[in-house]
Amino acid sequence: MRRAFDLALRGLSSLGLSCVLLILLGVLTWLGTLEQTRTGLYEVQRKYFESFVLFHDAGGVSIPLPGANLVMCVLFVNLLAGGIVRMRRDASTAGVLVAHLGIVVLLASSFVKLNHSTEGHVTLYEGQRAAHYQSYYRWELAVLEYGADGRALERVVPHAAFEKASLDAPVAIDCGELPFEVRVTHFFANCSPLPKGPMFEVDVPVVDGVFLREKPRDPTAERNIAGAYVEVRERSGATRTGVLWGAQAAPWRLELGGRSFALDLRKERYPLGFTLALVDFRKEDHPRMNLPRSFESDVEVREGEAERALTISMNEPLRTAGLVLYQASWGPSNARPGQALFSTFAVVRNPADQWPLVSCIVISLGLVWHFGRMLARHVRREVQPA
Amino acid sequence: MNALLRWIVCVVALLALATPGRAQAERWTPRALELAGALPVQEGGRVKPLDTFASFTLLRLNGQRSAVDADGRKLTPTAWLLDVLFDPEHAARTRCFLVADADALTAIGVHVEERRKRDRYSYRELEPGLSKLLELAHQYDALEAGRRSSLQAQVVALAENVMLFARLSRHEVAALIPPQERRSEAWSTPSELRQRASALSTSEAGALEAFEAAASAAERPREFEAALERFHHHAVVGARLRGEYDKLDSERAYYRADLLGWSLKVFLLAFVATAFLWLAPRRRGLYAASVALASIGATLLVAAIVWRCVLRGRPPVTTLYETKLFVTAVGVLVALAIEAIGRQRLALSAAATLGALGVFVASGYEVLDKRDTMPALVAVLDTNFWLATHVTAISIGYAAGMLAALLASGYLLAKLFRVRRGDRPFYAALSRMVYGVLCFGLIFSLVGTMLGGIWANESWGRFWGWDPKENGALLIVISQLVVLHARRGGYLREHGVCMAAAFGGTVVAFSWWGVNLLGVGLHSYGFTSGIHTALWSYYGVQWSICGLGAIAWLLERRAAKPSPVETSREASRTTSRAA
Repeated sequence: MRRAFDLALRGLSSLGLSCVLLILLGVLTWLGTLEQTRTGLYEVQRKYFESFVLFHDAGGVSIPLPGANLVMCVLFVNLLAGGIVRMRRDASTAGVLVAHLGIVVLLASSFVKLNHSTEGHVTLYEGQRAAHYQSYYRWELAVLEYGADGRALERVVPHAAFEKASLDAPVAIDCGELPFEVRVTHFFANCSPLPKGPMFEVDVPVVDGVFLREKPRDPTAERNIAGAYVEVRERSGATRTGVLWGAQAAPWRLELGGRSFALDLRKERYPLGFTLALVDFRKEDHPRMNLPRSFESDVEVREGEAERALTISMNEPLRTAGLVLYQASWGPSNARPGQALFSTFAVVRNPADQWPLVSCIVISLGLVWHFGRMLARHVRREVQPA
Repeated sequence: MNALLRWIVCVVALLALATPGRAQAERWTPRALELAGALPVQEGGRVKPLDTFASFTLLRLNGQRSAVDADGRKLTPTAWLLDVLFDPEHAARTRCFLVADADALTAIGVHVEERRKRDRYSYRELEPGLSKLLELAHQYDALEAGRRSSLQAQVVALAENVMLFARLSRHEVAALIPPQERRSEAWSTPSELRQRASALSTSEAGALEAFEAAASAAERPREFEAALERFHHHAVVGARLRGEYDKLDSERAYYRADLLGWSLKVFLLAFVATAFLWLAPRRRGLYAASVALASIGATLLVAAIVWRCVLRGRPPVTTLYETKLFVTAVGVLVALAIEAIGRQRLALSAAATLGALGVFVASGYEVLDKRDTMPALVAVLDTNFWLATHVTAISIGYAAGMLAALLASGYLLAKLFRVRRGDRPFYAALSRMVYGVLCFGLIFSLVGTMLGGIWANESWGRFWGWDPKENGALLIVISQLVVLHARRGGYLREHGVCMAAAFGGTVVAFSWWGVNLLGVGLHSYGFTSGIHTALWSYYGVQWSICGLGAIAWLLERRAAKPSPVETSREASRTTSRAA
């Protein structure tokens, strides 16, 4: 038992394993890069880099490979085990140890980022304000109930809850004390509504002459527009089917027992924790060119009673309340002079935001120390006999 | 007798050909050329000398920086541009459109007798097919850039060039006149001033008057010179008042000094000298001369880079073209430093080879790209801090990777061709050199890659996004890490490290150029379609060297078979000494 443990530990901490893992990571990176010319970045990230296992399609042959996530987890263990079991710890290895410590921090930061961060965007026209940001890719299903004052009470179901819904395995949504229950019977990551003509049949429900046609996913993931069929079953047993589509102008309204409800499929929303208002957006081009020189947005941030006026520009993000807001995009690109513009801010909540910087400094110090020592020794040895 | 006669005929014929050229008056007086060359012009987001503008415009149209006019005179770019601006009739007869494939002309119904497949044509010759050309170009332009056939791409490019020429001759392109208003940034072309003739500032009106006077006096050199002088005065004073003339003289001097051209020549000499050095190793003088030549080449190259930095007010690397110069310079300097430490001659050869190759490829790229190598930068790149840290570090990493590959290739080829056969210390020292350069490279690749991530985190909110260029940089880091760890673990020895480093060169090339050819991601900047061949040739060469290295290894093993234990022991002893 003891021997088996020793053996396993030696294997886990070995340089051979490090080499194999690094080569695997290299191969995955290479394949993931080439694959981006065919499928989009988002899909590639999920398939090659955030996964534990994957099947790479090499001209019709499916090759099983460990995902980069798995490789990096093992690498993390390998690093720690190697540092504890195998490495000599003295002046000659101090630099190497420090550099590897930096890599440990880096791997940890990527783990935190992958599992504990949210990202999205806020898009505002000049004069608009918002208190939440929304995801680029993920959808949520909102059940709203309108009160007498016109304000809506929301119950929100996240993407993960219904993304696998199908006719065979519909997903029931918990509606609490509402007088109906909701089931998602179909979910399409990318689709468009079409009128059903007399000349063809479809295998999905047709509602008011319209059905959802599934489309292949767009390589640019944020262009996908999701759609879903939902069944609303009242207590009385009466059922009605509705079509929800991500780009719909208005939610699906229902009147039940004198109460007013709506179902909406929209991008996942997260609270900002403050209100953000866009005051002015400026885009400057290089003279006589269509090449942008700078983008700048004047914004107002209101937290409680306190209000701050700030400017967010390219390379100058706003860090506040655990969030970072970046100047990401603008439009409409064909706006005439004087027309109101919108500005898009990418929003990231990442607890490990500054860890890579720390890691970079630690690694640099370690490597410079170690290789500097080696170089000095080498020069001494080479130059002396001359 | 017969031979003598032939010689005489040749000489007479040459003289006959040369005489009219010499007798002909120069197209423009030297004074006019000097004045014109120094004119400021706003293009590509910056104010530059007309010399620079003319040079890149002619390069774009004609594929080279000169043209021959209808009278057989060779024109400099500025002389050609003066023709286009002030004597368009004459310029229309100058063959200044390079057509790489005559099929493009067949497609637009133009046929000119006695021309090669790849040849130059004048505007007049192309004129009959103009409407067809524009029609086709419009049609092909709708296709995605990557889906056009080479013929279609040529038609589109030719149409663009013809349009550019026509607009130039109508004075619609060159923004030669600075605005008097301090706040307004955009300069005006003469044609724009004509359109708002009633609302001109005094300086604009003066400049336009002088320009028109020059245009009407193109045939009368004295008068032309005087008018140009007045125009030059208006433009230069206007530009100086705006603080936009400061670096123009320096830029002209930079292009005139042609430091890069000189550095290429000196590196080539150094290359020849080092080649002789291998034949006559004991020649002290030859060694000193080689070192001197390589150092002078390096000095010229570094001077050119520094000069560019001063002109642009930017760190050394901001464009793909500049990466070539910088990577070459760093590679050469590191190689020279290694030579200074070890004096093995191989690093010196590598310095000369790398220098010559790098500067040659850079100038080739400039011709291929046909665009100003000091362009304006897009918003996200407008940050000297990150350009100075991330981009510089990554480029140093490239340089080290390339140098390691070159030295390693030297090792493998030397083994294959049995240079200094059995000289173990020589090979051990070489392999140590490769290892040292890899370590040096790793620091910069790793830190440079991470700095890139930190920059991305500052501007886009993610440290790592698996973008192709990021992945390329990661691949370099990983390949170097694998070599170092495998060497440490004893999986790779001398020979193995060199084979891996030679392969590593292609990883660097993939990251540096290959990913840009993929055409996806945030970093697909730069004109790269013409680089395919060069890149794949490099892959081919390096992979062949790796293959040959494997053969050399097998041969060596077979030769050493009687006592395999002995060899491996000796090898491991060398490795441990190297560590």
